[in-house]
Amino acid sequence: MTLKRYLILLSIALIVPFAAQAKDHPGKAYIEKNGYQGPSTCEAKGCHPGTAKKFLGTVHWKHASLVRNVDNLEPGKEYGMKNRIYTMCNGNDTVNNLKEVPPNPKTGKTKFTGCNTCHPGDHLSDVGSTGKKAEAAIDCLLCHSSAYDFRLRKPFKDEKGRVVMGQDRSVKAAMAVGKPGVKNCMVCHEAAGGGVLIKRGFAFAKETDVHAAKGMVCVDCHAAKDHRIPTGFDPNNWANDGVRVACADCHGEAPHKDEDTNRHVARIACQACHIPRTGGAFAKDFTRWTQGSDGFFEPTTLRKEANETPPLYAWYNKTVSNTPAFIGPKGSRGDKGSRIYPFKMYEGKAFFDRKTGELLSMDFAPPMATGDVLAGVASAAKTLGIKEYDPVPGWQTIYFGSSHLVTKEKALSCANCHAPNGVLNFKSLGYSDEEIRKLTSAALYFDKMAEKQKEEW
Amino acid sequence: MKRFAVVILLFAVALAATVFAPASASAEDIKLVGVITKIDIAGPDATTATATLKDNKTGELVTVIVSDDLTLDKFKDHRIVVGDEIRLKYEVKDGKNTSKYFRKTAGC
Repeated sequence: MTLKRYLILLSIALIVPFAAQAKDHPGKAYIEKNGYQGPSTCEAKGCHPGTAKKFLGTVHWKHASLVRNVDNLEPGKEYGMKNRIYTMCNGNDTVNNLKEVPPNPKTGKTKFTGCNTCHPGDHLSDVGSTGKKAEAAIDCLLCHSSAYDFRLRKPFKDEKGRVVMGQDRSVKAAMAVGKPGVKNCMVCHEAAGGGVLIKRGFAFAKETDVHAAKGMVCVDCHAAKDHRIPTGFDPNNWANDGVRVACADCHGEAPHKDEDTNRHVARIACQACHIPRTGGAFAKDFTRWTQGSDGFFEPTTLRKEANETPPLYAWYNKTVSNTPAFIGPKGSRGDKGSRIYPFKMYEGKAFFDRKTGELLSMDFAPPMATGDVLAGVASAAKTLGIKEYDPVPGWQTIYFGSSHLVTKEKALSCANCHAPNGVLNFKSLGYSDEEIRKLTSAALYFDKMAEKQKEEW
Repeated sequence: MKRFAVVILLFAVALAATVFAPASASAEDIKLVGVITKIDIAGPDATTATATLKDNKTGELVTVIVSDDLTLDKFKDHRIVVGDEIRLKYEVKDGKNTSKYFRKTAGC
């Protein structure tokens, strides 16, 4: 066990019994006396100086960053949810900006929708905005209060007809300020991609993740510095704050008692054995929307629960192939920087431009109201200034990283991979027939496992 | 012979009634999509709540008992509120509708 891991577990052990003390956040008396006005309150009296301004430079506010490990991107341009087009989210903050969709012809009802619904501003100060007004619009308590009233976080139209995202700036919410809990993160991250567990396909709960079962929260691993959140190298999650997180940060490079198992770490990522299942949407069709019983339409989506889908294993050197038909890992057996990772497989159908071969994006408001998908493509093209295009349906395959749903008890063991019916496709991973014959034989581990079995029973 | 045929017929009817009985009579899961019309939860320390949904297909009101921690927490801080559309799976246990899956249909 590494020092960092010890420190984290020690922190949890110390913090949990005294969680109640978190209510005594310094400045409580000030908030009680002066009320809560947003970031200005957080920065008053010398507390958290300059934090709001710094936050405007993070991925959570910009929904984009420079991306250095992905093919076919414009150098110097920032990419992310702000402007990316791919088939899990065929829209983005730009073309699918939060707005009121046209009335449904059947019911006459309308609703608010948009990719930037989760942006922690008030929508008047939106993705990537800067300046004092933007600083004042930050919804600190959305992430930092354990008593946030989510009824208040709803879009509405102000007196000028502008769409505004409401916030809970009550004293009650402000008094419950502290380190983000799981729900503060998951309120946005669990519903990405069109519904609960659709995009990422994992639930961070004690039943599904060993870290959650130990009482850890998201920011124990994704520990931010100046609101820059460390992330892994998910081939489909490009925007990053320039800081990274990895299992080895806590567990080290030799985390097992058994040296043979530790030897695997050089070429097999921890996730490959410790995350044997994925979940969420595995296919979606943006060219065919399905009408729900409320009259509105949604992209037709095939989905599974967390832990219901087997992953696909591939070499990955943390650089990404990015073409209109494929977003996924680069790497190979011969590349010593590559390791075998598990990926959540996803296939999405959407419209491509016959002339350029590029994927076209979609404004969801028109198809959501009427099912007219080409009206959605036309609206997005107009926003982006694309005058000529010829939409044809096509498929895109995406490999999503799989770094949650971690298990110790159900981790893959020798026989899960080293067997003729094992989970690894050694052929596609670049092994010869002769090597595969050896790699899929119980002879590799028989004596050792037999001994272990004898000890256990 | 006629009596034998009647017995066979009665047996067949009884068998069909068992096989095709409404799901609510068995322990099988019942699924529906509906809009929440009412949530009753007894304070912040409640360990169960009841939610009433209007089934989108039939228009009938269905009341279920919810006891999983995550959904209860979402009731308490209003991440799930009246008016939300829910994908619900429940079973009838001791004559009560017990939620096994309670998820908002919406996402971004």
